[in-house]
Amino acid sequence: MYNLHLSPEQLQIRDTVREFVAQEIKPLALRAERLEPQARPLLVEALDKASQIGLRMLALPEERGGAGADNLTCCIVTEELAVGDPDIAAVLAQTSTLAHALFDRLMTEGQRARFLPAFLAEQRYHLALAEHEPDRDTALGMNYHRPQASDARFATAALRSGDSWIINGRKDRVVGASLAALFAVRASVGENGAGTLLVPRDTPGLTITHPDMSARWHHGGCGALTFEDCRVPAENLLTAALFADAGRNIPLDQALNLGIGRAACEAALDYAQLRVQGGRPIIEHQAIGAKLAEIAIRIEVARAAIWQAAWASDHPDAFTDRSLSDLPLTAIAAVFASEAIYRAVKDAAECFGAMGVMRDMPLQKYVHDARICLHSGAGNSETKLRIAEALASYRRPPGAAALAAE
Amino acid sequence: MDFTLSNEQRAWQMTARKFAEEEIRPISLERDEIDDPRDTFDWEIIKKGSKLGFRTLAVPKEWGGHGTDFVTQALVMAELAKADSAISKTFSQCWKWSHLIAAACSEEQKRRFLNPFLEDDTFLLGKGISEPSAGSDNRLPPDDPKAGLKLKAERRGHEWVLNGEKCFIANASVGKLFFIDARTDPNAPLRQGTTMFLVPRDTPGLRIGKVFNKSGWRFYQNGEMIFENARVPHANVVGAVNGSDMKTHAAGDRTGGDLFGDLELAANALGVCDDACAMALTLAHTKTQGGRPLFEQQLIQLKLNRMHLLTEALRSFVMRVAWEHDHKVRSANAGLCMNFSTDVIQEVTELNLDLHAGAGILDRRADKLVRDAIIWSHLAGDSVQRMKATRRLGK
Repeated sequence: MYNLHLSPEQLQIRDTVREFVAQEIKPLALRAERLEPQARPLLVEALDKASQIGLRMLALPEERGGAGADNLTCCIVTEELAVGDPDIAAVLAQTSTLAHALFDRLMTEGQRARFLPAFLAEQRYHLALAEHEPDRDTALGMNYHRPQASDARFATAALRSGDSWIINGRKDRVVGASLAALFAVRASVGENGAGTLLVPRDTPGLTITHPDMSARWHHGGCGALTFEDCRVPAENLLTAALFADAGRNIPLDQALNLGIGRAACEAALDYAQLRVQGGRPIIEHQAIGAKLAEIAIRIEVARAAIWQAAWASDHPDAFTDRSLSDLPLTAIAAVFASEAIYRAVKDAAECFGAMGVMRDMPLQKYVHDARICLHSGAGNSETKLRIAEALASYRRPPGAAALAAE
Repeated sequence: MDFTLSNEQRAWQMTARKFAEEEIRPISLERDEIDDPRDTFDWEIIKKGSKLGFRTLAVPKEWGGHGTDFVTQALVMAELAKADSAISKTFSQCWKWSHLIAAACSEEQKRRFLNPFLEDDTFLLGKGISEPSAGSDNRLPPDDPKAGLKLKAERRGHEWVLNGEKCFIANASVGKLFFIDARTDPNAPLRQGTTMFLVPRDTPGLRIGKVFNKSGWRFYQNGEMIFENARVPHANVVGAVNGSDMKTHAAGDRTGGDLFGDLELAANALGVCDDACAMALTLAHTKTQGGRPLFEQQLIQLKLNRMHLLTEALRSFVMRVAWEHDHKVRSANAGLCMNFSTDVIQEVTELNLDLHAGAGILDRRADKLVRDAIIWSHLAGDSVQRMKATRRLGK
């Protein structure tokens, strides 16, 4: 059974979001002053409108008040949003994914009762994950295929004090930091390893900043968090692991990357049919025609890899029944898509001649956005090492493995 | 084969290296990060470099310049570009067209334009070819007279009256003298119906429009030039009417190429690659993981290997082309080298950024080098430039 049909619901939501992006996001996102990589405030009003059509709660199950979309649908929506604006796509993807993980899987009844009603009621209630720490060495690198694990313990630490946790430490590269109402903060908790603490935005002791390079090099209103004796109630601790296996995560970052590639591809295709040189539209010249074909090939093959990984994350039994290769398919899609799409976007910009590098034109922004994807997360060299370990079914000894899986 | 540099070549290289490290590098990133493209330019660096000879390097000695050979010019461009690609280009843009004044202008024109150029540290040169609807069509002109640049020049007695618009023109906002291509026979194809004019900045009817806001090469000023009944004396025609292809013919190149321009972009790219290699090597030796330098890791070594082998291959190619120019060897190599430099500068700067990002460092200069390198796609390595170089093969 091999079936690539999307369901009527999936097709409908794709068309709806595509229309929404064309009407509500593109006219704002493509304004010249917003195309400069260094000054890109979030389009909060467009984000609010996206929330109104339910995209903030896309993955949250219906019984919890959301749309209950599966992972593939979430990827389709993220791609469509990123065609218009990767920052909006990143914020919504994160809020929607975390809403599903937190409210449906990880929270206790008591925690849900405290946080879910406000999340459902307030359109600007976004969720953010604070995981990465400045200067913390988490790279596999020289520990590739070696029993030593990286220094996976978080420097950010929560210590118990009566009925509270007291958090100290720093987090950076936090997507949605500029507007999230609730942060899921990964930290060393007490004496026994890692956990996740729920920290509302207005908690005393939490400071949110937006370092220039961090904002320029990450999608989604990225920022940094500093915790100084930040106190949250003891019951804000989540003990279960947030996500199971990074190599098989929902490929939302990759779907976002794909949207950037599509935007560049569509722009190049339009322009190549309008621009006349050598007495005919440039698409009628072999050199440009072949370039557009290569762009399309890269984007289509990237989408196939991403959708396969997305579908696999919806159907984990497809690994156990041997339908799919027992491999980290999301990691594989990430390396392929980021390289293929960067190349495609550069080619698309080349079709525009000198206008491809002008800051008041979108092409240089697509190139920058695709470059962000190329260098975000662990990086492709690192990801390749993790794929290589998976190919060899390499397992770290217990203890080291527990840390590495965090 | 002898790769030894002469004492004079070595001396120019060392002067350029010192000036680049001490004067250009300290301002490079700061100028790049200024938002308004009109404000990125800095006259002080131009004046300092001019006093050292970097503005007039290519003018023959008999006309009061430094009369350096192409090998020296390539060495100097690379050294300056190692500190800042766009500042290097601003200097070499003057060589490009001072070649032309010296080679193609009449004695009377040399007296009127070359002397002021030599005397004034702020006298920059530019050349206007591109127009909004004519880019590729100027480089690979079709036979159709309607294709290519449209700026019109009409004879009125002892004057020509120019009307039209140029875009992306280098040094437009800072230059004092421009070589402007204009159509003088609208019924002839581009090459047979275009004339080159010497147009001073203060020509009545010429105004400078916007300065383009590029993602890379931000110091370098590319602007609009608008001609509204701009009046230029007939004495300012370069070479013959309807014979604009002076830059190649007058310079002695019969290959249909751009003798200096192709070498210029390749040599500049070489300097950027040298900078990227140095940055990456420093990072690999100083940044550690688990207490050990990154350099010890195989993947890091393989990336450094790739960066260096490409850079050294480019160096060989650039110096060979410069030597061939000095010995008037006819070949397509200059164009091929320029095309190759596009692939090299982009891969090398991207690997440098990748090494930094992989080490968790969002380095602003590594980012700048990649943005500067992207410019090559639209100038030196697009399909049109590659086909143009190909067409010189076997000629």
